[in-house]
Amino acid sequence: MKSLSTLTSLPYRMLLGGAATLSLLACDPNNDPTPTETPIVTKSVFVVNEGNFLRSNSDISLFSKESNSVRNPLLFTSVNKRALGDVAQSMAIQDSLGYIVVNNSNKLEVVSLASFRSKATISSLKLPRYFVAASAEKGYVTETVAYGKAGQVSVINLKTNTVTKSIPVGMQPERLAVVGNRLYVTNSGENTVTVLNTTTDAVEGTIPVGDSPNSVVVDRNNNVWVLSGGKVVYNADYSIDFTRTTKGSLSQITPGQLTAKTREVEVNTSSPGRLTINGRRDQLYYTYRGGVYTLAIDDDKLPTTPLIRRSFYGLGVDPQDNTIYGGVGSFTAADKVIRYRSTGAAIDSFTVGIGPNGFVFY
Amino acid sequence: MHFLKWLPVKRLGTLLGSVGLLLVAAQPLAAQSALPPDTARAQRLPTVRVAGVRPDRFAVGSRRLTLDSLDLVNYRTGTLAEVLSARTALYLKNYGPGQLSSITMRGTSARHTAVLWNGFNINLPSLGEADFALLPATGATQLDIQPGPASATYGNGAVGGTVLLSSPVRWGAGWRAVAQGELGSFGLRAGTLEAGFSNEKLAVRTSLLYRQAENNFPYFEQVATGRVRRAQENAALQQASFTQDLTLRLGQGGELTAAAWLTDADRQIQPGIGTNNTNARERDQSRRLMAGYRHISSRHEWAGRVAWFEDVINYRDDVSGLSESSVRTTQAQAEHTWNFAPTATLRVGAEAQHFAAQVDGYGTQARTENRFSGFALLRYDPRPRLHLSLNVRQAVLPGRQVPLTPTAGAEWEVVQAGPQMLSLKASASRSYRAPTLNERYWRPGGNPDLLPEQGIGYEGGVVHTLAVPTAHLRLQTELTAYHQLVDNWVQWTPGASYWSPRNLRQVRAQGLEASSQLSWQSGAYQLASRASYAFTHSQKTQGAAYDSDPVGRQLPFVPLHSAALSVDQQWHGWQLTTTLTFTGYRYTDASATSFLPSYLLLNATAGRTLVVGPSWKLLVLAQGYNLTNRSYQSYQNRAMPLRHGALSLRVLWR
Repeated sequence: MKSLSTLTSLPYRMLLGGAATLSLLACDPNNDPTPTETPIVTKSVFVVNEGNFLRSNSDISLFSKESNSVRNPLLFTSVNKRALGDVAQSMAIQDSLGYIVVNNSNKLEVVSLASFRSKATISSLKLPRYFVAASAEKGYVTETVAYGKAGQVSVINLKTNTVTKSIPVGMQPERLAVVGNRLYVTNSGENTVTVLNTTTDAVEGTIPVGDSPNSVVVDRNNNVWVLSGGKVVYNADYSIDFTRTTKGSLSQITPGQLTAKTREVEVNTSSPGRLTINGRRDQLYYTYRGGVYTLAIDDDKLPTTPLIRRSFYGLGVDPQDNTIYGGVGSFTAADKVIRYRSTGAAIDSFTVGIGPNGFVFY
Repeated sequence: MHFLKWLPVKRLGTLLGSVGLLLVAAQPLAAQSALPPDTARAQRLPTVRVAGVRPDRFAVGSRRLTLDSLDLVNYRTGTLAEVLSARTALYLKNYGPGQLSSITMRGTSARHTAVLWNGFNINLPSLGEADFALLPATGATQLDIQPGPASATYGNGAVGGTVLLSSPVRWGAGWRAVAQGELGSFGLRAGTLEAGFSNEKLAVRTSLLYRQAENNFPYFEQVATGRVRRAQENAALQQASFTQDLTLRLGQGGELTAAAWLTDADRQIQPGIGTNNTNARERDQSRRLMAGYRHISSRHEWAGRVAWFEDVINYRDDVSGLSESSVRTTQAQAEHTWNFAPTATLRVGAEAQHFAAQVDGYGTQARTENRFSGFALLRYDPRPRLHLSLNVRQAVLPGRQVPLTPTAGAEWEVVQAGPQMLSLKASASRSYRAPTLNERYWRPGGNPDLLPEQGIGYEGGVVHTLAVPTAHLRLQTELTAYHQLVDNWVQWTPGASYWSPRNLRQVRAQGLEASSQLSWQSGAYQLASRASYAFTHSQKTQGAAYDSDPVGRQLPFVPLHSAALSVDQQWHGWQLTTTLTFTGYRYTDASATSFLPSYLLLNATAGRTLVVGPSWKLLVLAQGYNLTNRSYQSYQNRAMPLRHGALSLRVLWR
């Protein structure tokens, strides 16, 4: 029971906490002309299978879009002849390399995307969560460090694969995004986004957003979108006190400003999460109320009906064609990923590892 | 993968073939003749003036395995996890040496095994299961294992099987005492003291155990640079146990029994290989007190028993902080047994249990729950060689309907010719398991509306006994086949924001159990051996719509094949015990995709007894474990020690 309760609470603990919510504002219409872009082509989908807590059975599954099949459900283990580690939280890519954040093994595994052979292991992190590369030389990883205390962002030298420094941020930092020379870090244990200068690694400021910001994307206008889950407040008997639980919200930050425009979701009975953007970077997707919701970046209102009525543990959108990937997390069996057209119509499904929590398109 | 799946079958065949002791028996066996020196006087049911009816008299047609003092003697400083793992084909999912050990019987989960101490269920009420690593072997002197559903006889949770702990009295044995000190690998230090006295009126037994271990054993981990040797961290433990048994005869037919069993374990929780060490630590304390009185006349027996248990589990780690749990269980049982004919016995009785739980995970308020049951057990022998039993129990659980759980059993001694005896047996049983307190009250997720699980099972078997007293030979072979359907099987599943237990599915468990016991004596040489094999096929057959696990796959952590062979040999003052166990591959997920490899474990104990005075003996023991130096995992991602050993000195008085 002990391990089970820890297991159940760990992923969700990330969604909790925070303070008060800001006002509700509609975002400005976007009048910029659409620039011509080279189309994005993706061939492979790396599915991050979180695995069972403490059992070191996480792995990456490789799905081939060409053959519409899973080429290798246990890619890391079969190539490297060893376990990936305990709780694969996320994966990001930079050039031809993949960076897999292995949360409960306190490490980052660096792999070649071509062969998936391990190139380096960056260890001694403190409950790492998400990674982003700011350049070919520099990357950042959020770390919980400990619950109820300030988390940190560690700076990784991508040439030497070493930690060069660690910068204190807010509590339970989660997803992060880079725009120009600024890094935006969501502090899910509070209601703030920390802004770091990627040239100096100095903290430029802290932006108040909704309670428990958990995910962040950057749109085609370089606006930063932050999704907050809302603070869940418990009664003495551990049931949820909905009179004090705050609503989730979506915030928009204009680069260079230390303020955000925040809109709240409809109800506080569910926490929105997993903010994702399409390849054109003009359509947002997130999970909420047992479904997937979507809106255009210039929509006035948050959507009230879901695009897909199914709850997912992992959500991804193929930047090539907006195909939506939903990972079902049973944590007991080899889990499924279901694919949907951008209209929300189901296409097919395939079997991956345990607890698919994210997708990397390459 | 395909090849590996079948590998264990071949290895098993080789193992059994080479041993040549295929498929043989399961009754207590006439092990008395081969008892080691300090147990030669212990634990035999005496011809008592007050002859009560044992509960197993009503367990006709069921397989039963008894581990008596011969089996337990070399585990004085160990736990039941070690006894059962080494001497039976049962698989205990072990999270490391001295760490959580949960049992699976006949393809079910640990919650489906009832563990009874002196007739009372001692499964932790919060978890609904027992951690066998918290039950020192000195707590009882006899261990009976009855696989299969038997809720009518043993109550809640006897779905996959029942483990019964008892300490039968031997009257008129006088004073005796045994002390043992032990030093072993990885900082093992242990000491036990057991003293007892009995005359024809009073019997007392006291036992004390203390043990500690660093458990900083080496293991191997595969990392980017290759295979590295590491020392296990955060796996140290300290454990203590105190047992006091007392039986007093009052008048012609009265008998008063009282027993106390206190256990205390302070364990660091061994982290998984390559996982974050959060310095997890758990303190488990159980205080168990019981008292009973029975009065026996020529045809009637009245008995009443009360018990009070307190189970404390305090867990702490760097990430979650402290989580405390304390559950107090108060229970009472009353029964009346009527031998209304020489060939027929009827027992009727009732049981009441009150649970009071103060568990951090349930919120600040205490949770209480009452459970009741009434039962009637009938044994009837219409012919001397035909035994029948019919048992029923009706449980009353808060707010939920439990069906009547009957058991019908039959045994027929078909052939009894010279040294040969062949008997057939069969039983059919319905069983139930009440939802655990965690399943009902855990916040968030606890589901107070859970229905009790129900099982319907059948078993049939044949027992062959060859007994040649002149040659001091006894060989008993038993083959059993069983089938059980468990409905409303509870599983924790992830919901929108937290996990919750639900009545999700039906599970079908079926299999074969074969065992053989041999005892033989020739001059000063004594041999006792037991070989057992289990084929366990357990699958989900139906599920609720939101149960995403596939049907028709072997359940995780249920080995398809398991086997055990133990050989105890004595010659003059020398003794040699070897145990060899095979645990087949176990899937680690419900889709039967990944698995843990099978393993073979060989342990041996060599000893020499020296007589140092008229009532004093010394026994020197050298114990070796995992002698083939096998690197293996019992549970996923938890390291287990390679070859290791211990030295013991035992002093026996009288």
